Amino acid sequence: MPVRIDAVTADGKSESGLKGNLSLTTITDLLQFLSASAKSGVIRLLRQPGGDEGRIYFVAGELVSVVSKDLTGLEGLADLLSWEQGTFHFMPGVAAAQSNIGLSVQHAIMEAVVLLDKRAKENGGNGSGAHKEAYERSFAMQESGRDSTEVLNDLLAIPGIDAVVVIGRDGFVIESVGSSARVNIDELGASLAHSVNGIEEMGTELNVNRFQDMFVEYGRAVIICKPVGDAVAAVVTPDASKLGIIRHKTRKLFEELAQSF
Amino acid sequence: MTVMRDTVVKSLAKITVQGDENGLIPEYEVLVNLLPVSLLNTFAERIMAAAPPDKKAQVEEGLVRAAYECGYHTGCGIITSEIFNDVVMPMVTEGEKDILRGAYAAFTAWGWAKSGIVQLKEGERMVIRAFDYYEADGGGEGLRGYTLRGLSQAFFDLAYADPYPDGMDTHVCHQTKGIEAGDPYGEFIVVRK
Repeated sequence: MPVRIDAVTADGKSESGLKGNLSLTTITDLLQFLSASAKSGVIRLLRQPGGDEGRIYFVAGELVSVVSKDLTGLEGLADLLSWEQGTFHFMPGVAAAQSNIGLSVQHAIMEAVVLLDKRAKENGGNGSGAHKEAYERSFAMQESGRDSTEVLNDLLAIPGIDAVVVIGRDGFVIESVGSSARVNIDELGASLAHSVNGIEEMGTELNVNRFQDMFVEYGRAVIICKPVGDAVAAVVTPDASKLGIIRHKTRKLFEELAQSF
Repeated sequence: MTVMRDTVVKSLAKITVQGDENGLIPEYEVLVNLLPVSLLNTFAERIMAAAPPDKKAQVEEGLVRAAYECGYHTGCGIITSEIFNDVVMPMVTEGEKDILRGAYAAFTAWGWAKSGIVQLKEGERMVIRAFDYYEADGGGEGLRGYTLRGLSQAFFDLAYADPYPDGMDTHVCHQTKGIEAGDPYGEFIVVRK
């Protein structure tokens, strides 16, 4: 992770800390690092431009509290994950006044990403309106700025992803990159199409709108899939340890992919 | 529910394909030649090579037209056949779109090309991707997926133009990518004429 360890002065005492810029790393990477190294302290984030401030508190690598402006807990974390530019500064040994989040880092990231998706839809109108827009965009068949193969390769470059596949609703494997020793891509295409069909039928029966995400965790592989335009994209990962980060990092790429299908 | 390719491919692949005394296959309620693809590829390559430069476009159009005529009439036979009715129609819930999905699954099952629909705007535009169409193995220059061009145009006419046989020549198919030209797959786009 490209960050710099500097001497930090707090209350006149010299203390080691971690500083960096969000253009060099992401908040999810930072959270992963602090969680894996069982750190205690606070990450202070400053958004640029705007100067909004956020704080994320850890105790022994566990997430205990998040504050972003007037938002706290998962709402606050979701807000912080949407920041694209700014600086961070980890100060060890600083404790939160109170706990407002009771989830592991991975789980918290995943839940925060769900909130982000929800907000994005609300900002685009109502949920069905956002879907309609995506649906119509897929039919508008505008040329995406990038070729779908480039987007797929970017998805494959995310750590933890073994393979990425785009399938038609009938199970036709439109495109794939990477490979998985655990999953046969052609068989995945056919199986996913059957599963998605079943899930969409269930959604219709329950009147809960179109399906948006599917995670399937097996003993030797995890499959994440999402509709992209009129097709379905799926990524294969060996286990669930990076699921939160993968979900966060794939979000925009899936949106970009939807313009091609 | 929509048409599931693997179900169609598995069901159709089980059918014994045996030529009759004339070397034709009546199994699909249409007569299909059992000819080696090298013969078709060689024919296309030689006729294109023999054409003078100012006639090449017309010869190419002729090759596409031959596939179109075959695809339009044979395709109609196939999608109205008992086999298609038994295997594909029970899965059709999205009308013409599903019938087209079934047609490309059948196309794959019979070994003509591993192909399928990438994008579809009903009645207006369709993008097809093909991974191992036999014309990619033939000799010649430029994009040479004449058969897939003709058949895709025919399938789209059958699905969205006036009922058979009045809907001929409503759409046209262009090839934009080809394995024979170094692309990873063949891409065919059908639009209104």
